[in-house]
Amino acid sequence: MVENPDRHRVGDHPRDAAGREWEVFVRPDGADPLRHVGSVSAPSVGVAYEQAETLFAWCADDVWLCPADAVERYSTHTLDDDAERVPVGPDGDERPRES
Amino acid sequence: MISVSKLLCELDAEGDGLRYDAAADSSKPQISREKQRRPVVVWNLTKQCNLYCSHCYAAADTGTAPGELGTAEGKRLLDDLADYGVPVVLFSGGEPLVRDDLVELVGYADDLGIRPVLSTNGTLITPETAAELRDAGLRYAGVSVDGLPERNDEFRGADGAFDAAVRGIGACLDAGLKTGLRYTITERNADDLPGVVELLHDEGVDRFCFYHLDYGGRGADIADADLSPGAKRDAVRRVCDLTREYHDRGAEIETLLVGNYADAAYLVEYARRHLGEAVAERVYDYLRRNGGDPAGERVADVDYQGNVHPTQFWQGYSLGNVRDRSFGDIWDDESNPLLRRLRHRSEHLNGRCADCRYREICRGGSRLRALSAHGDLFAPDPQCYLREAEIA
Ligand code: SF4
Repeated sequence: MVENPDRHRVGDHPRDAAGREWEVFVRPDGADPLRHVGSVSAPSVGVAYEQAETLFAWCADDVWLCPADAVERYSTHTLDDDAERVPVGPDGDERPRES
Repeated sequence: MISVSKLLCELDAEGDGLRYDAAADSSKPQISREKQRRPVVVWNLTKQCNLYCSHCYAAADTGTAPGELGTAEGKRLLDDLADYGVPVVLFSGGEPLVRDDLVELVGYADDLGIRPVLSTNGTLITPETAAELRDAGLRYAGVSVDGLPERNDEFRGADGAFDAAVRGIGACLDAGLKTGLRYTITERNADDLPGVVELLHDEGVDRFCFYHLDYGGRGADIADADLSPGAKRDAVRRVCDLTREYHDRGAEIETLLVGNYADAAYLVEYARRHLGEAVAERVYDYLRRNGGDPAGERVADVDYQGNVHPTQFWQGYSLGNVRDRSFGDIWDDESNPLLRRLRHRSEHLNGRCADCRYREICRGGSRLRALSAHGDLFAPDPQCYLREAEIA
């Protein structure tokens, strides 16, 4: 677990290399937490669901989909050129990004 | 990749350690003394290409596409890959030479100790770029040619593409860069194969990689141009025969088959029939050490937007994105049940693969083709051409 991490908001880059991109979440069983299992490319949510079902139906009760461009991502990983530092701590201090 | 020349003609190559854990027995300098523990990463630097090939797995286009990893991001990606221990990065596309930072990225990878290699259509390579790439540390250029001139140009959607690719190959060879052919075998070009090998061998090429069609990108649209299983078997037999013929007359060409691990099973059968039981056993042993279809384990793909795929052909499903998370964290995350199952696929294969005697060296061939054909990731590969009697 990271304490007081420097997080960056990952920039709004398109991720639709092969069609619209949909993040996929599955819940193996009713009491399990939802788990992110990657994303599929599909022109519509119906096709995205078909694809996710083909890949994950064997291990999931629930399948959730979310357009990849509707997800806001805050991460300690700093590869992204457009990542914006997010203030941390009570004074809103920012630590410099590691190069 | 399955090296026909190694298995049938005992030609040593730089990849013997990496591929077969056989560095100690090889007379060639090795890419790695150890069997590969981390994946070779294909990085599709860009979606843009100066050509429009009908079988392009990356569905590349002549225009630019948004979201490309920039130079600084690319270097941070290479840092991540080096930290993770990736031995080889294959710079691919689209056409990687449309990016003006290719030489810089190749040099950066080389400085990090990653072996940089290139997949290109060859048409943009001039003597100057070939020399710059060599000086930057590029170790190998694989140039795609898919038939004799007329057929190749039709495939690639551009008149003169064949001649331009051959000029590019010549520029690489003149610069002292190791250069090889990439040839995707389909129904349309299978007959051209010996003629292309002869022509390029005369140009000085001595490495030939033959790809089976996988059903990703535009490859899915031309799945019906794929060879029938019987024709595929004939084409692979022709590659085996041709390799032996060249070697018999003292031309030690390196030949490899890519994209259909049923070839592993076929090679054992071929060796038994033409070279005897002892050679067949040696071939089987090498292939067992190689470990079968590499998707999701020994090969990974990062597309131009940073999405990580289990192979370069499987662009429709991504395990994660390197802008969000390091490559190593994405690749190691077996909480993803699909990735875990893919890596333990032998236990889950069904149909004829489940009981196949070659399951250990093939691992069911292409899971992507099984998915495309049957909607089931663990169904048999529709392009397995082994006969029932051979796999029983
Ligand atoms: S039956 Fe399956 S495991 Fe056997 S050779 Fe064919 S694809 Fe490979």
